[in-house]
Amino acid sequence: MKSRIALSLLVVLLTAAAFAADTNTTQSDAQKSFDKLKALAGTWEGTFEGHRLEVTLRVTSMGNALMHEMKGSGPEDPITMFNLDSDRLLLTHYCDVGNRPRMVGKMSPDGKTLEFEFLDVSGSTQAGHMQHVTFTFIDPDHHTEKWEFAMADGKQVGGVLDLKRTK
Amino acid sequence: MDREWNDSQPIYRQLRDRVVAMILDGVLKEGDPLPSVRNVAAEYRVNPLTVLKGYQQLVDEQLVETRRGRGMFINEGARNLLLQGERHKFLAEEWPRVSATIQRLGLTREELLQTPADGQPSNPAEKEPKP
Repeated sequence: MKSRIALSLLVVLLTAAAFAADTNTTQSDAQKSFDKLKALAGTWEGTFEGHRLEVTLRVTSMGNALMHEMKGSGPEDPITMFNLDSDRLLLTHYCDVGNRPRMVGKMSPDGKTLEFEFLDVSGSTQAGHMQHVTFTFIDPDHHTEKWEFAMADGKQVGGVLDLKRTK
Repeated sequence: MDREWNDSQPIYRQLRDRVVAMILDGVLKEGDPLPSVRNVAAEYRVNPLTVLKGYQQLVDEQLVETRRGRGMFINEGARNLLLQGERHKFLAEEWPRVSATIQRLGLTREELLQTPADGQPSNPAEKEPKP
């Protein structure tokens, strides 16, 4: 009887240990993705549909948040914030259409692409919402960002920002 | 197109409305190309993604078509389609408010018909304030 209890306890402990290890791996993946994104901090210049755009990325809040600002000279340039939320990397986009979609990031196995999938949105979606964002890391001074917006009827529109570091 | 934007609705929708007004006013005719995204973004100082959204809205409304490698063009029948839509929108959304104001002020049909569209009295003497 005692050996049975001991065996059961051992199984429970091993299961808990395996679960904890798995959780640590997931957290570590999100942290790694966040660190890779934070390495982009600086000022970037590039083009979108042939139009010149500037992007700045700034690590803030004691390293707990990364702020992304797109500057195309218009009044509607959006802000995007990145932060860790337990075991996931979150993106919150403060959109010029007035809503705030959130997305969850997932790094590709080769570590070259970080894709953000839509999670949820606060605010009205009558004018559509940002749906999907992909960062592709080319080298420390060159990356691309693909921004995809879902119109109110679900049709997607977007394009790729090709960015080179200036600072 | 006016370069000023307001906060009442997203800029891409204001951009859509301006293109619609240009089609209705005959500034843009059926078969005409739309200015490039790059040019509109530069000229009106907006994000190119905003212009793309505005243009996509026009495509979704079947007012504009994309010709691969050539750009976007005003569809045949776009003006009629717009007139139908804009008339319906005016009668459903704006007319009830205008009609209520006319009744509240007791304006007669004759007074309305005699008043020019700019609201200014046709008799210059009426413009001068009386001492």
